[in-house]
Amino acid sequence: MESSHIGNGTNINNQPFEFTGKALEYFSIWIVNVVLTILTLGIYSAWAKVRTNQYFYGNTLLDGASFRYTAKPIQILKGRVIAFILFMIYYFASMANPVIASIIFLFILLLVPAFVVMSMAFRLRNSMYRNVRFNFDKKFTRAYKVFFIPAIFVGGYLLLASQIEYLQSADTETNTLVGIIIAVLLLGIVLMFPWWEYIITRFKAVHAKYGDADFTFSATMKNYYGMYIKAYLLSIVIFGIIGAIIIGLMGSFTSDTDMSSGAHSAAVPLIIILLVFPAYLWLFAYFQTKRTNLIFGNLNIAGHKVKSELKTGYMLYLYVTNTLAIMLTLGLLMPWAKIRTARYRASVTSLDVIGNLSQFVATQEQYQSAMGEEIGEMFDMDLGF
Amino acid sequence: MIKGIYYNGKTSEKKDALLYCKHNGLIGFADIDTIETPFNSVEISSRIGNTPRYLNFPDGSQFETDDNDAIDEIVNTFSTSVFKGVIHKLESAKLFVLFSVISMVVFGWLFIQYGIPFVSKQIADRLPEEASQYMGQGVLDIMDEQWFSETALSKKKQAELQQLFNNLKTNINGSHYYKLVFRRGGSIGANAFALPDGTIVFTDELINLTDNNLDIAAIMLHEIGHLKNRHSLRATIQQSGLAIFIIAVTGDVSTSSSIITAIPFMLVKSGFSQNMETEADSYALSYMQKYNIDPEHFANMMEKLQASFSDEYHNCLKKSKKPDAAIQCINLAVKQNKLNDKEQSKELLDYFSTHPGAKERINRFRMAR
Repeated sequence: MESSHIGNGTNINNQPFEFTGKALEYFSIWIVNVVLTILTLGIYSAWAKVRTNQYFYGNTLLDGASFRYTAKPIQILKGRVIAFILFMIYYFASMANPVIASIIFLFILLLVPAFVVMSMAFRLRNSMYRNVRFNFDKKFTRAYKVFFIPAIFVGGYLLLASQIEYLQSADTETNTLVGIIIAVLLLGIVLMFPWWEYIITRFKAVHAKYGDADFTFSATMKNYYGMYIKAYLLSIVIFGIIGAIIIGLMGSFTSDTDMSSGAHSAAVPLIIILLVFPAYLWLFAYFQTKRTNLIFGNLNIAGHKVKSELKTGYMLYLYVTNTLAIMLTLGLLMPWAKIRTARYRASVTSLDVIGNLSQFVATQEQYQSAMGEEIGEMFDMDLGF
Repeated sequence: MIKGIYYNGKTSEKKDALLYCKHNGLIGFADIDTIETPFNSVEISSRIGNTPRYLNFPDGSQFETDDNDAIDEIVNTFSTSVFKGVIHKLESAKLFVLFSVISMVVFGWLFIQYGIPFVSKQIADRLPEEASQYMGQGVLDIMDEQWFSETALSKKKQAELQQLFNNLKTNINGSHYYKLVFRRGGSIGANAFALPDGTIVFTDELINLTDNNLDIAAIMLHEIGHLKNRHSLRATIQQSGLAIFIIAVTGDVSTSSSIITAIPFMLVKSGFSQNMETEADSYALSYMQKYNIDPEHFANMMEKLQASFSDEYHNCLKKSKKPDAAIQCINLAVKQNKLNDKEQSKELLDYFSTHPGAKERINRFRMAR
């Protein structure tokens, strides 16, 4: 534990997060969850979710106290039933009639901001630390503004681009011009994403609360553009090099006529697997790491600052080893993978505490529906951070 | 006395505390000034591994402790619930966990291998014909756009094969909507497809492999076998069944590994099409036996199809300029393949291919002669 003093004499100490879960212990919980879920035809999955979350929360410690997940399985079961019915309607509609299916899909899309708010509220209000609940302000109107104003821009851009495509003619010069305009429009969309993600993340962060204290988010739009531009440039450089290598190799193959073509046609996919896949994985790990650090490293509450210091190299190592382990054991090592990931993430996260953490005031418990979260999960939306 | 942390319920302030439980079930604290609470009014969290336990009191205060065993003792003494700690007992019973793992693996395998295909077949057989015809709409359009181009077969050859196809159909009930079309396969090469709407597509490359129309008839019958057994409908249902099964198994796991978990199932899934190929083969074989078509035609064609993907065949095609080069080249390639086969076993390759166990399938038709 590091400790230092700032000007006015207040004590700052860096409190590390700690994860104490054990792979074997969690494995037992997981396998019992799976078996009981199957035996009860899915009904137990709500209890399974609660026990899993309780296990991970309970093993996460900060300053000698644990986190606690307080959701009731019945709430989750209700949400799941609704989500399941909705999903089945959508599924059969999409098989029977694509038009009805796309209407349902559009309808669900329109509800995404509401699901995000409900989901954040459900998750946070069921999270507890030192007998004080987290909380989330349910600002639905604000959520719709944050999610849909950029969406309208993007949608408009895409519409414009698709309309311009019709302008194509036999004249090559006009075609080049049209191509350039489309490229500019697409670039516009790409450049809009950092802004969109920033305002959504900020929305989620600043409406979160611990007790009656608000979280604040100190990342700036500049941070987000910086992160994205770096990632874009890195991708361009890396895939540019790989592309050059592949083109170079293919050139040497075609000029070499003596050898049978079979060996070459086999070599190209091999090169793609050996170069492209690791490059993609590294970029994925890089981006996830930077993004997580940017989000969590800029969360503050009542002057206490969260620190997040994930390393790309270690995240890549975790992704690769977890993937291999899960694949080779047909999923049986999934609990182990989850535990070691949680342990690493906790080990690089800490809280700079000013004074102590005793001053947070508890708020009343309010009933929350799990519907938003469960529908979101059923349709594979990314609702949390 | 149980050591733990006391929270007053108003703020996040923590206090070390010692909890006691009297013989009459009254719970209180040795070092904190509160009234004693009867056991029934205290909410005690259930045990999960060795995570801390929480005791919640009616005044909003909470006690957090690592001493799970001591809390269990209190619960066991005073709780009248039948279900107290039953899940934790299951989770910590090593034998039960071991039993779960084994039954999971066995059950999962049985379910994927037999359960889902069986249920899919039942559903597919009960769905009206329109269902698969509906599904097939647009499939050919997509394939045309992606791979195919117009056939280069002569009008005469096409008419011959259409006649042959119609002759085969006269012996088959409910085949009125089956349709035969020809396309140049391009990158797909020599192949044939049965689309759910009853369209059977042959590529020029396949037709060119033989000058005996009965060879083609054998493949037609195989494709009709796919249609008869509603394989594309079944495959679709199977895939959604698999998806539901995967959600059931990994439902409570929200790791970033949804793609990862799909991979093993993909491996298993190729086993589905293996079964379906066998079923389509059976259909072709029984038809051939019933109407006196030599099963050897099918075996011949399978060998040729296999060889059509070899380098020998392609190199030979490239060098030769003669119009009947394809047949000469394929015969050469088949011979070469047989030699190669003696040298190396291709078991591993067979496992991953969509038309697996070609040798087995060929032998089946040869044996049936």
